[in-house]
Amino acid sequence: MKFPSPSSAEAVIAVSGLSRRFGTRAALDDVSVFVPRGSVLGLVGENGAGKTTLIKHLLGSLKAQAGSVRVFGLDPVGDPVGVLGRLGYLSERRDLPGWMRVNEFMRYTQAFYPAWDESYAAQLLEQFQLDPTQKIKTLSQGQQAKIGLLTSLAYRPELLILDEPSSGLDPVVRRDILEAIIRMVAEEGRTVVFSSHLLDEVERVADHLVMLQRGRVILNGKTEEVRRGHILAVLAFAEPRSGAPILAGAHAVAGYGSEWRVLFGGSRLDLEAAAAGIGARVVEERTPTLDEIMVARAGGKGS
Amino acid sequence: MTAIAWMWRTTLGAMLWEIWGRHSGKFGLQAAALAAGLFCVHCKQHGASEVLGAVLLLVSWCCFITAYLQLLMCCAYVELDAGKAKVGYPGRLLLKPVSTARLVLTPMVFGGVITSPILLVWSEFVLKPLGPFPPFDSVWALMMLLSFFWWMQAVTWSLPLLQTRSLILIVVAVVHLLVAILPVMPIHPSPAMQWAMAAAMLVSAVPVAWMGLSLMRQGSWEGTVLVFKPWSENRLAGLWIRRKRFGSAFGAQFWLEWRRLGLALPSIAVASILAILLIGAVVKRLAGAAPPPEALLSIMVLVPLAIGGAMGQGMANFDLANASLTLPVFISVRPMTNGGFIMAKLAMALATSVLTWLLMAVGAVCFLALLSKGSLPSNPNLAAAGGPMAWVVGFGLVFIFLVLVTWKNLVGGMAAGLTGRRWILTAVSLTKLALLLCVFSLVFWAKVDDSFRSRLLPWLTPILAACLTAKVAVSIAGFTLGLRRNTTTVAAIAWMVGGWLACGLFVSGYAALACIALHHPELWLWLVLGAFLQFPLADLAVSPLALAWNRHR
Repeated sequence: MKFPSPSSAEAVIAVSGLSRRFGTRAALDDVSVFVPRGSVLGLVGENGAGKTTLIKHLLGSLKAQAGSVRVFGLDPVGDPVGVLGRLGYLSERRDLPGWMRVNEFMRYTQAFYPAWDESYAAQLLEQFQLDPTQKIKTLSQGQQAKIGLLTSLAYRPELLILDEPSSGLDPVVRRDILEAIIRMVAEEGRTVVFSSHLLDEVERVADHLVMLQRGRVILNGKTEEVRRGHILAVLAFAEPRSGAPILAGAHAVAGYGSEWRVLFGGSRLDLEAAAAGIGARVVEERTPTLDEIMVARAGGKGS
Repeated sequence: MTAIAWMWRTTLGAMLWEIWGRHSGKFGLQAAALAAGLFCVHCKQHGASEVLGAVLLLVSWCCFITAYLQLLMCCAYVELDAGKAKVGYPGRLLLKPVSTARLVLTPMVFGGVITSPILLVWSEFVLKPLGPFPPFDSVWALMMLLSFFWWMQAVTWSLPLLQTRSLILIVVAVVHLLVAILPVMPIHPSPAMQWAMAAAMLVSAVPVAWMGLSLMRQGSWEGTVLVFKPWSENRLAGLWIRRKRFGSAFGAQFWLEWRRLGLALPSIAVASILAILLIGAVVKRLAGAAPPPEALLSIMVLVPLAIGGAMGQGMANFDLANASLTLPVFISVRPMTNGGFIMAKLAMALATSVLTWLLMAVGAVCFLALLSKGSLPSNPNLAAAGGPMAWVVGFGLVFIFLVLVTWKNLVGGMAAGLTGRRWILTAVSLTKLALLLCVFSLVFWAKVDDSFRSRLLPWLTPILAACLTAKVAVSIAGFTLGLRRNTTTVAAIAWMVGGWLACGLFVSGYAALACIALHHPELWLWLVLGAFLQFPLADLAVSPLALAWNRHR
């Protein structure tokens, strides 16, 4: 299943044919993504795939060279106040003013958002166990991520954009952050765009998935459908093979001798037909994890 | 194995190679600057006219200052940390199995060995032959420059996180300047004492750098003033914590700008007042009479104006802890127009200018009361015809004038930095320098050549009027584009244009009074045109667009 078409009035984010080059390198190439209201979109891909570049276009930090970007139906470059006032953003880079104290940063941020909920902010402050009088530069990386998340959530934005929120954080902080996001989504039905290469997180939180590779969208759909659209199978051949078999629809093939492991994109019937075509039979199969799909699709044939 | 090959395999060799390898290209520019200086000397010695000689002198000194500053940057041995957040001693070297003394001495001695001969060549073969050269011994000048270089290294390495580090560097520079001019002061210590002072200053930089780096290596120092930290955390800082909600987004942004840079200029003002009071007291004790109040008051007036101009480029930066000019994420995602961000900067610059001159006024009163014993107001040449009331009015007008000029110095060059592109900042700075050199050359030429002056003066009014027209045209285009692109608001434009008109009209009135008092009414039109040209409008008009270019890349 694909996301709604550009004509959908419910699309909070509508990116159409977006391309961006940095010098000779194409960071985004004809990317189209539509995110309906209330969904949680997981944006995945290897390093340099274009996830952060796409997010920067949503924030208006980068201007589209080709194509169009609309958030809440507005152009984030043409109307930054209209767009930024309704979204919350947590950056991969903890680019916070180190000289401010936690409570000062909260008050500073509060001034920009009339919808700031003081009781909710206090609740998050307690939940994240942050000392309001501490200077930001003395906080650990995890605490800085938490204050960043707090100031992104406290005004209950309609859209929350998280760029690698758990990058470099320990499992406990990652869990805290994920739980805050899940609660927000579950209780308030907000829209979330969530970029990560920790795919177990994405699998847990995201109901939709966009996978980028070298600036192009290679997968786009519901998370569960993406998983079920792939099969991880073991093929057995009558005779040992010296080289990897070429199987139509396989994204990765690995093994040796007469048993080869393939990650296949398609239905079980397609896999059996393709295997029979090269003189093999399916001896084992299961639904792959997102991690396995990404490694196979982003890492090429060898694994 | 040859000696050179062996040396490159030692830790010392590796460190030297790193310094050389990183900046070897820039040492070529040193040679180019020196060649330019020598060429100027050659031209001067082969019959250059008086006017050309003055221009050559100016060019040579510019080349020398640029070369010296570049030498400081090349040999200082500082770099940004991984997060591009602080400039200090290369952190990775602190973890190497090398003694702290070697970490300190290698770049200091290497810098000294490289800079000393270069500076000596400059003074002996370029600056002295071009003359006039300050009546210093070359070795004395070299020692002072070297001492400043070592102190700069010591302060930069030891205080990488201290926000007021730049101020400390300015204080270090001022102290060096004051000591450097000791030999030419009417009252000065004996030569032996002077050399002892200079040697002590030079050598004391080494233990300071060693101590800072040692503490940093042990993890007991992060470059902040540890001694004052508990005090500041508990008392002083408590005064600054924002406990109430901000009334508006503009208020929050103003507060951020104020906390970032608002107290820098007033602090320098206070420091300069204290320094002047101290110098005045010392001179009075040694010579039995206070130094002339006009001279010291002139210095008091010039310091904030000059420092304000120097701080102007820093106004564009939103995060002083980050050397990059790109907009910090926490600012760029705030729902505020670019014009709003600019207005907060303009308001902060005005507030800091007012505070600075209030402090300077208090300092001037203290100075006159403590040292001058009222000699300035009783000076018959300065006695105002209107009595004490005229003094009060005159003081008020001067106060407003100085506030406006300081504000203009702070915000006048902001747009280039707001683009977030270093190359634009460099290009604009070089263009301004070139224009300044042209204007100085024209003024100098007009001063020494009567026929040129008589030909230039009739053209002055049309030239100024044309420049003003161009400025207004650029401003209108900037405002129109800003509104069309939604980067500014009508209210922000109204404030900018209103402020510019108010400043220009105020100076016009002030110039009228001055022209009447000086019996030169013919100067008034030029002063008015000059005032409207000097106060920023085009720069403010393009600032929101420049920031938009930085914010939406």
